[in-house]
Amino acid sequence: MLSKKTINPQALEVSVVQRRTPKTLSLMGAVLAVLLLGTGCETTTTTSESGGSSSSAGGNVQLISDFPEQVVIPTYKLLVEKSNTLKTKVDAFTADANVETLKAAQVAWTEAREPWEQSEAFAFGPAESLGYDGDLDDWPVNETDLKGVLKGAAPISAETVEGLQTTQKGFHTIELLLFGSDNNKTAADFSDREKQLVQQLATAFDQTANDLVTSWSEGIDGNPAYKTVLATAGSEDNSAYPTSQSALEEIVGGIIGCLDEVGNEKIGEPLKAKTTDDLESRFSHTSATDFKNNLIGAQNAYLGKSKAGTSGASLSAWLAEKDADLDAQIQKELQAAIDAVAAIPAPIEPKISEEAALAQMQSAQDAVLTAFSTFEEQVLPLVESS
Amino acid sequence: MSKLTKFLVLAGGVAISTFLASTFFVPSSVPPAMAGGDTTVISRSSRAYEHPAPNLSEKSNEEHFEGDLAFDAVFVTAPARVNPGLGPQFNNASCTGCHLRNGRGLPEKGQLLVRVSNPENASNLPDKDDYHAERVAPSENTPPVPGIGTQIQDQAIYGHPPEARVEISWKAEKGQYQDGTGYELRSPQATITLPNEQPLPSEVLTSLRIPPPVFGLGLLEAVPEKNILALADPKDSNNDGISGRPNQVWDMEQKKITLGRFGLKANQPNLLQQSAAAYFNDMGVTNPLFLEADGSSDIDAQTLKAAAVYAQTLAVPARTLIKDQKVKRGEQLFTKANCASCHISELRTGQHEYAELENQTIHPYTDMLLHDMGAGLADNRPDFEATGSEWRTSPLWGIGVTQTVLPYSSYLHDGRARTLEEAILWHGGEAQSAQQTFMAMAEEDRDALVRFLHSL
Repeated sequence: MLSKKTINPQALEVSVVQRRTPKTLSLMGAVLAVLLLGTGCETTTTTSESGGSSSSAGGNVQLISDFPEQVVIPTYKLLVEKSNTLKTKVDAFTADANVETLKAAQVAWTEAREPWEQSEAFAFGPAESLGYDGDLDDWPVNETDLKGVLKGAAPISAETVEGLQTTQKGFHTIELLLFGSDNNKTAADFSDREKQLVQQLATAFDQTANDLVTSWSEGIDGNPAYKTVLATAGSEDNSAYPTSQSALEEIVGGIIGCLDEVGNEKIGEPLKAKTTDDLESRFSHTSATDFKNNLIGAQNAYLGKSKAGTSGASLSAWLAEKDADLDAQIQKELQAAIDAVAAIPAPIEPKISEEAALAQMQSAQDAVLTAFSTFEEQVLPLVESS
Repeated sequence: MSKLTKFLVLAGGVAISTFLASTFFVPSSVPPAMAGGDTTVISRSSRAYEHPAPNLSEKSNEEHFEGDLAFDAVFVTAPARVNPGLGPQFNNASCTGCHLRNGRGLPEKGQLLVRVSNPENASNLPDKDDYHAERVAPSENTPPVPGIGTQIQDQAIYGHPPEARVEISWKAEKGQYQDGTGYELRSPQATITLPNEQPLPSEVLTSLRIPPPVFGLGLLEAVPEKNILALADPKDSNNDGISGRPNQVWDMEQKKITLGRFGLKANQPNLLQQSAAAYFNDMGVTNPLFLEADGSSDIDAQTLKAAAVYAQTLAVPARTLIKDQKVKRGEQLFTKANCASCHISELRTGQHEYAELENQTIHPYTDMLLHDMGAGLADNRPDFEATGSEWRTSPLWGIGVTQTVLPYSSYLHDGRARTLEEAILWHGGEAQSAQQTFMAMAEEDRDALVRFLHSL
């Protein structure tokens, strides 16, 4: 999911003049527009003889080694801590189902959600390619098949979970089981099979969270630790990141991808549909909390820190050296986006068709997309030419 | 402020006059970095294959965004509020589930798939009256296998058995460069078990595949047929040992045989049909080209088209390190070893439904033709005109970011090559002499050639 990106001529060492639609061309004045349209020429490119792409790591070395150590791994470690608590609380609930134990399991789910949503500002690397993202957070839930499993007679075991589709496990299936379809489940509503399934799902979830952090910190299945892959960007034998700029672009791209998804999809789609259908955490009525944590994740990634209290060399400091005003602007825009999202009445789910709530969703979307555009249009070009 | 206004403010009058001048004096050659012409984007991160072409009009950009949502949509079992229609059998539940970040997949469940067909003279063909949508795209030499069709769907919705279970083991083989340096290659061995626990009958032809990347495809669709046919040399009349052949396949909409362009054996004529087949075969999602028995479908024409448009209008990542001396030397070695005879570096696009894709000089490193790649790579499963040892030349643009987009992913049709070096070593048949030239190179030359590939 990516939105439009412009080319930066400097990085390519060609100057590119982009074609614009007739509507925007009118800004350039009628004469120019006529000339342009008249030629039928869409893009003009000229070459320059000088220079070449740099593969030296330059001043980025500290940043690309601190980012995994101080931002990514501590956030995933927090996820592991919370997923372990979730497993413990779900175990306690299934052993003795009552109002308190259910509440504790629900709270543990919400708390595990926090570091995960914050980690979506760096969703690259093994999270995607080794399938952890799908196993932990696929959406929507395959409710029809879930009902089938629950109504069936086959014993529910660890193997059952292994055979399930990703849309029948992870956060949202556990959410549906713990909270009900409209945050309306009571301890008495649980069948024995629901208890067995949620227990197995929480156990599998915890294992996946552990594998995810291992894939970054130590490497898994014989693959190198991803922190090393990122930190060695620019070395000739690095098949993923041949230049240090590419690792920096990865970090910036992670933030951009997160802002894009929150703004255009997570907020954008429900805003269009005015129903709860596309609200990601609608079962637990915590979709607005997801928006907020995504943005805090983006802010942390930018500032080079994590919820766990760790910090290191930051993109913010790197940018401030080049353009202090731009850094200040981004800090302001990220905070404004967080504030705008915080102003959405929570929970949003029961209010999604109300005018006032939709207006707040709209302001939040605008604020998120403002930060998104700044990263896309102003930060990326600086990275490419660094 | 719009991007354009900003550009004008920043650029000022001088740039505008340069702009006007360059509009009238178009340089004759475009730098090789602009792999996809005006659709090129500069990106060397894991998002490299996910950018919309930067030259899209506002309208095309909106269509691309709609397509992005369709491509991302995860299907579930009907009935459902969101995305019903999965299965009953399937390989994955979304386009992006296989084409992770639009890149090359891994040889793992959910991404690796097995195409199957009966030998042409098989006696156990399925009953012709038994409707199966897979049969609406007829290819006489890929008769469906009873109970499976032409692709094994190894996952299923609740209450339905998957068509088979596929387990992969790896066979290793050792070799040596001419300078004595050793290497080890691996190839996948599939054990396929039917729901009744019996093995797949041995006469069934199988072909293992991983998903190829999906960017730049609109440009390849826009290359005029005559340009591709002009590259063909079926009888090798120029005696260079290379005899590219076009595939001729069934166009379901036009109901006629036409040039095959897409798929690892070029068995699909266009991206709409390619997308429709993928919806149906990979996800079990029926659509206007692959209907349910009663004529209905899980998705409508608009959604199908959106997904095709998404692939059509994705940007191509620019090359990097173009001034790097080792990369330059690698490029010369690539040409000298005759790799460029099939991996043609430059093509020109013609007409297309999307004006943004038209009349572009592109650098895909493919001739879009079938070549005999030798026994080592053969799947021995013919598909239309493609024989069991022929494959369509894979485009190499953007190949340098393969493992950035998807860490630990691998190369060639079934993901057997863990590195680009291994991929070269697997080349046989018409590419044998190029492979042998590589085998005979000194280590630093081999490294340079591979570094060139990483710059793409």
